[in-house]
Amino acid sequence: MNYVLNRLLSMLLTLFLISIITFAVTNILPGDVALMIMGTQSNPEALAGMRQSLGLNDPLIVQYGHWISGMLTGHWGTSLVFKAAIGPLLLQKMTASGLIVLMSMLIALTGAVPLGVWAAIHRDRWQDTASSSAALFGVSLPDFFWGIVLILLFARTLGWLPSSGFVDPGTDLGGAIAHAFLPSLALGLGLMAHLTRMTRSTMVGIMEQEFIRVARAKGLRERAIIWRYGLANAIGPVMTIAGLQIGYLFGSIIVIESLFNYTGMGWLTYQALLNRDIPLIQATIFVIAAVVMLTNLVVDLLYVLVDPRIRLG
Amino acid sequence: MRRFRTSKGMIGLILVGLAILIAIFAPMLIPAGLSTKMHMAERLHPPSLKHILGTDELGRDLFYRVMLGARTSLEIAVSAVGMSILIGLPLGMIAGYFGGWLDNVLMRIVDALLAFPALLLALTISAVLGPNLRNTIIAIGVAFTPYLARIIRGEALRVAQLPFVEAARAAGTNNLNMLIRHILPNVMPATIVQGTISLAFAILAEAGLSFLGLGTQPPQSSWGLMIQASRNYLDISAWTALVPGTAVALTVLGFNMFGDVLRDILDPRAK
Repeated sequence: MNYVLNRLLSMLLTLFLISIITFAVTNILPGDVALMIMGTQSNPEALAGMRQSLGLNDPLIVQYGHWISGMLTGHWGTSLVFKAAIGPLLLQKMTASGLIVLMSMLIALTGAVPLGVWAAIHRDRWQDTASSSAALFGVSLPDFFWGIVLILLFARTLGWLPSSGFVDPGTDLGGAIAHAFLPSLALGLGLMAHLTRMTRSTMVGIMEQEFIRVARAKGLRERAIIWRYGLANAIGPVMTIAGLQIGYLFGSIIVIESLFNYTGMGWLTYQALLNRDIPLIQATIFVIAAVVMLTNLVVDLLYVLVDPRIRLG
Repeated sequence: MRRFRTSKGMIGLILVGLAILIAIFAPMLIPAGLSTKMHMAERLHPPSLKHILGTDELGRDLFYRVMLGARTSLEIAVSAVGMSILIGLPLGMIAGYFGGWLDNVLMRIVDALLAFPALLLALTISAVLGPNLRNTIIAIGVAFTPYLARIIRGEALRVAQLPFVEAARAAGTNNLNMLIRHILPNVMPATIVQGTISLAFAILAEAGLSFLGLGTQPPQSSWGLMIQASRNYLDISAWTALVPGTAVALTVLGFNMFGDVLRDILDPRAK
């Protein structure tokens, strides 16, 4: 239990540092929030009043205090571009992105685990060369290029799937999945390539170990060795590596959601950055970093829970 | 060098060499003005004898544009990775070698930075500073620094515990000398391997940033910008997307293969 407590305490410290980094990065912005709200035509006195009421004349440390206490008490402010409360806006976009992050992870793992294992058990033979070369090629293509190829193939040429837009899963689940499919595939293919490489090297490491040789020596069938001894031991590390890719996915969705006009968290971040919507930028990057950190924590804790050999603290 | 004589090593070497040669010599080889000259009468022409890779939406020759894109891409990637090594190498070495509270403080900050997806951090910094060539380098350089610092710290920690370091300390080597003469040469292999792989990621990041309009700005020729511009013409001229896309893919593939082989040679513990 001590281990979990320790991790939670260090999580709070990291969260605090994340908030400072977020605030620091957005405060080197030359933009003026008051000017953005009032427009360039407003008179100087009203502008000065606005600055005063927004607290822009306070020292940075006081401004940080205002911001972080607002974030902690649920007063996330109003987006300058969308003229809407940031809290509900983020919740809605997070759900939309959650769908494609989950789907792409599912696509990636479904392909990567069999391919990686297949390559590992045929190490240095043509199966390994084929799978590893394909994976190497996969990690070298930018994901938005995957996106464009998929749009050309499945939307323009074959006309099977929509290439743009977002449908709320609450109102039309089938439509939601159809619209999320191509962006998820574009994200999933690159991730699949990366995870295939990881699965292969994990599996190669395991198949070289003593207990595998023992299992062979006592005459177990190769199939049983691979499944019950090899894969059972590889699945933990592979899941951990997959969990760590959540951060990568939350970076990639910015490009992919913009390409597919999928109005999720990535699309929102991009709009906020383009329009220099400072309150929205602060909230989005803080929330994304917090989500990434929390997922990593959950993956770590799950690993301890699942693997009986790890008993920490 | 013999290990490069695998097919992977050879292909990687050729691709990287080709990309570097094109990046250096393209501006000298291309007839002056041909890459920027617009021919509205020859917009979106498919590949032909006159334009072997076709033309873009302004009638510019894609073969020349894509060659100039190599220069932008490599210039940004090399400078950005150079910058993150310049910051990450001393930070990682100091954290790993001294350990204790210094290591704790530095690695806490690095952990917090790692919670921000690299592309998100780079995009934000670029948007905040105002997108141009120099700020794209700074954005990617800063975003990659925590990764490098983490890896170099791990290496420095390992090296600092080796017997020869203890022996050097017993012989009266001071900390500065120890860091420069003993730790630095031993963390260099991992730094070179990680740097090469980071180059591949930096090229992808530059393409992504430029694709979103928050990286290289026109009229500079950049692969990400070319793919962005092609989006409106996908139906009639898919090659305007496929040409720069393939250029990115081949260059990144080259650096990845090169990095893999380098790792096999320099870092035999990794698989």
